[in-house]
Formats: sequence, C-alpha cells, structure tokens
Amino acid sequence: MSVRLRQLGALACLSVRELYRRKDLIVVFLLGAVILLPLAFFSPFGVAGASRYISEMALLLVWVFSIAIGLGVSARLFPPEFESRTIFPLLAKPVGRGTILLGKYLGALAASSLALAVFYLAYALLLGLRQGSWFPPILLQAFVLHVGFLAVVTALGLLGSLLLTPAANLTLCALLVVGMLAFGQRLSTLAATQTVPGKWVLQAIHWAGPHLEFFDLRQRLVHAWPQIGWGVCAAVSAYALCYAAACLGVAGLIFRKKRF
Amino acid sequence: MAASCAVLAIALGQAIPPFFSGRLPQVAGANVLTLVLGDARLVLSNAMLDKAEEYFHGGVRDVVCEFGLGGAHDEHDHKGEDHGEGAEGAVRATDLWDRVNSLVHAQAHRHVEGDEARELLPWLWAACRASPQNIQAYESAAFVLESMLKRPAEAALLLEEGIRHNPDSASLEYSLGKLSVHAFHDFARAERAFSTAREKCRPAEGPAGDADRFLEGNILFYLGFLAKQRGDLGRARAYLAEIEALVPNHVAIRDLRDMLQEK
Repeated sequence: MSVRLRQLGALACLSVRELYRRKDLIVVFLLGAVILLPLAFFSPFGVAGASRYISEMALLLVWVFSIAIGLGVSARLFPPEFESRTIFPLLAKPVGRGTILLGKYLGALAASSLALAVFYLAYALLLGLRQGSWFPPILLQAFVLHVGFLAVVTALGLLGSLLLTPAANLTLCALLVVGMLAFGQRLSTLAATQTVPGKWVLQAIHWAGPHLEFFDLRQRLVHAWPQIGWGVCAAVSAYALCYAAACLGVAGLIFRKKRF
Repeated sequence: MAASCAVLAIALGQAIPPFFSGRLPQVAGANVLTLVLGDARLVLSNAMLDKAEEYFHGGVRDVVCEFGLGGAHDEHDHKGEDHGEGAEGAVRATDLWDRVNSLVHAQAHRHVEGDEARELLPWLWAACRASPQNIQAYESAAFVLESMLKRPAEAALLLEEGIRHNPDSASLEYSLGKLSVHAFHDFARAERAFSTAREKCRPAEGPAGDADRFLEGNILFYLGFLAKQRGDLGRARAYLAEIEALVPNHVAIRDLRDMLQEK
C-alpha cells in the first residue's frame, strides 16, 4: 500500500512540476492583472465605490483560467508520452497501468488546484481591499466547489486524451464545459420545449452530462447572498468525486486495453 | 518591378481617401467600437442593460418582476402596484438536478436599494458608451442616478448627452423635463423640455403608435401641470382636453382633472 502511495506521489509530483516549468501560471496571472487593474480605477459617471463588477470580472477570469489550466494540463498528460515513446520505460517499471493513470490524474488535479488556490488568494485580497470583507466563509465554499469542478474537468480531459487527438479533445472538452456552465441549469426547461428526438438528446445530456453549474457560486459571492448549507456543499462535492471516478474508471479500461 | 509596385501602392494609398471621400466603408475619426462592431453595438449595449437589470435583482437572471430599470419608473405606469420583493422566482425544481441547482443558485430575487445602486452604474455606463443610440440605456442610467443615488445633476448631464446623440428622441426630452420638475423645481427649464418633447413626439397611425401616444399623454399632463402652476387654468384645461382626445383611457386624465379641481 505504501509503495503504491509513493508511486502515486511521484507521478503526481511530475505533473505539478510540469505546470510550473511551463510558466502558464505566471502568464495568466499577468493577463488577469492587465485586465483588472484599469477597471479598479474606473468611476462611471464620476461616481466611485462600485465593486461588484470588478468582483464579477475577477471571478470570471479565475474560472476561464482554471478551465484553461485544468484542461491544458489533463489533455497533455498522455499524448506527449505516446508521441515521444517515453510511455514504454514508464510501463516497463513495476507500476500498474491503473496506478500510472491515477497518479497522473492526481498530479493534474493537484497542479490545477494549486494554481486555483493562488487565484483565490489574489481574489480574497481584492475582495478584502475593495469591499472590506476578509475571507468570508462563502469564499471557502466557492473554493471547495471549484476544486470539485476541476476534479471533473481534469477527469474529462484525461479520458478525452485517451480517445481523441489533443486538438479534438481540447475543443470538445471546452465546448462541453462552457456549454454545461451556460445551459446546464436550463437543460430540463429547454428539453420540455423541444420535439422528439431533440427532446431525448437534451434529456440524455441533462441526466448523464456533467452538471458543472453546480460548482459555480459566483452569483452568491458577487451579490452577497448567504452561503449554501454545508450539506449541499458536501453533496455537490460527492457528485464531483463520483463523476470523476466514473470518467477515470472508463479511462482505466481504455488505458488497460490500449496497444502502443 | 517590385520597387515600382511599391511606389504605386503608396501613391494609391495616399490618393484614394481624398478622392473617394465619404464613399469608403470606414469613416475617418470613427471610434474603435464603431469600426469593430458596427450595428452590433446596439446588441452589446442591450446585453449591458440586461446585466444592469440582473444586478438590480440581486444577480438573479430572467426574473418575472413588474419592477425594473426598463421603463418601470413612470408614475403613470405603476400606481399602486406591488412588485413582490423577495418572492420566489418562477423556477420550480422538477427533478434531482434541478433541486440541487435551486439550492446552489439563489432563486428568490431582491431589489437593490439606496447607495447599493452604484453597483449598477458600471453596466449602465457601458450600455451608454457601447451604443449612444440606446435611449433606454440613458433613461435607465438617469433614473438610477436621480431616484436611487440622489444625484440629479449627473442625471441631467447624462440626459443632455443622450439628447445630443439622439436629437429626435421625445422620450429623453420628457425625462429631462420630469427631472427638472421633480429634482430641480426649475419649471421654466421643464416647460422648454416638455414643449420640445411634444414637438418631437409624432405617434404613428394605429397600434404601432400606442407607446408614443401614451408618451404624448404624459407630456401633456406635465404641460397642464406647469400651466396650472403659473395660474393659466384655461391652458391647463386645453391640455386636459387634448389628452382626452388623444388617449381617452390615459391615467393622467384623472390625475390632471383632480389637480385642476384642487384650489
């Protein structure tokens, strides 16, 4: 057991190091600062004091960057290994294929979550400085659910990387993630207004698709609504774990049967 | 050969703008938004206005509510109506996923009040800048500045800017007149604005002109009110008769009649 944990840890560390080697985090951080700094000094119609718009923009950037990092990291876990044939020395080691897959997934999730933690820390400072609200409990809930979101997204990216080419995987996953975030809440209503077979397709997506909008607490955070119950937070996190586990299970089956 | 082509290209580049002045697709001096978006500016502006509306309802989208920024601030439209503050929205959980969604995302809405209304301004500012032809954006922004933030001077400046960009708009002149009456008590300025609004208001025939006829009824009400203020009761009665002829069921008829019966 401890050997397996050490193997998982070593594989996860590799993914985290890879993210920091590529300097993605620095680039997105600078980009965020360039977008947000001019907005911070903006006073429309000569009236200062509005802060929700900047809070919303900052959270939007956090979400966009987290999707880019989560998908980018997970979609590039295996294809470079297949192309450069470095997968063979890895498979030759006394490590099971399932361990390799899980280790790489945990590495991608850890790297994305660490980047997310940095974003949320910056956002918390912005929130404290502009609105005087230092680390409210809902911020912790938002972070926990956002990590759950990344757990699903990285699992989808990893699964896609075993089935599709990198470009197709990134495109399809990005479409799915953005589509579910935008329309996930309205899928049942949309399905009710459609005729067969459109209705069946929408209902299938509604039941089987990843409901990523569950993890989005931006509305509550920006507009100072009360936090959600911790029970709801736990249930949504459990949904993320189950969905990610299902994706990893399918990915494990594919990876086990994959011929190189 | 290459050098002569380059010289020819430079010469044409210099000659074409003055020669085809006014016939080229891009107008010299037009701002970046016009160049990039063209007519899509109005769509962008309306999206910003929707965002302001969302902020007005505490970040809740697609709210079924009678009270809002979009034209809901005319006293003749909303007398005695309850807007159901904090009422549960129309969203009803039909299955497990909908139930989770309703627990995670706020469903009931609330209205932004008082100083909190400054949170709407960035979106209203963006709506006005995205399309200066969006009259609704100017009216909503002026309403927020005047009624919610008690900044009538800024509201008046904004309405004047809107009128400069939309010289044919009777609605903006009417809003400026109302602001002059209620916020500044400047009746002379108000009368000028209402008179100009009346000149600009030209309702179309049939149902298409209903909204403009309603607006003209409102303008006539204020003109009647101002006539009464300066003691010209005959003129005020003439305005009342005009409203009765124009929009027989207009609520302003009753208001103006009550006002004229007061000593």
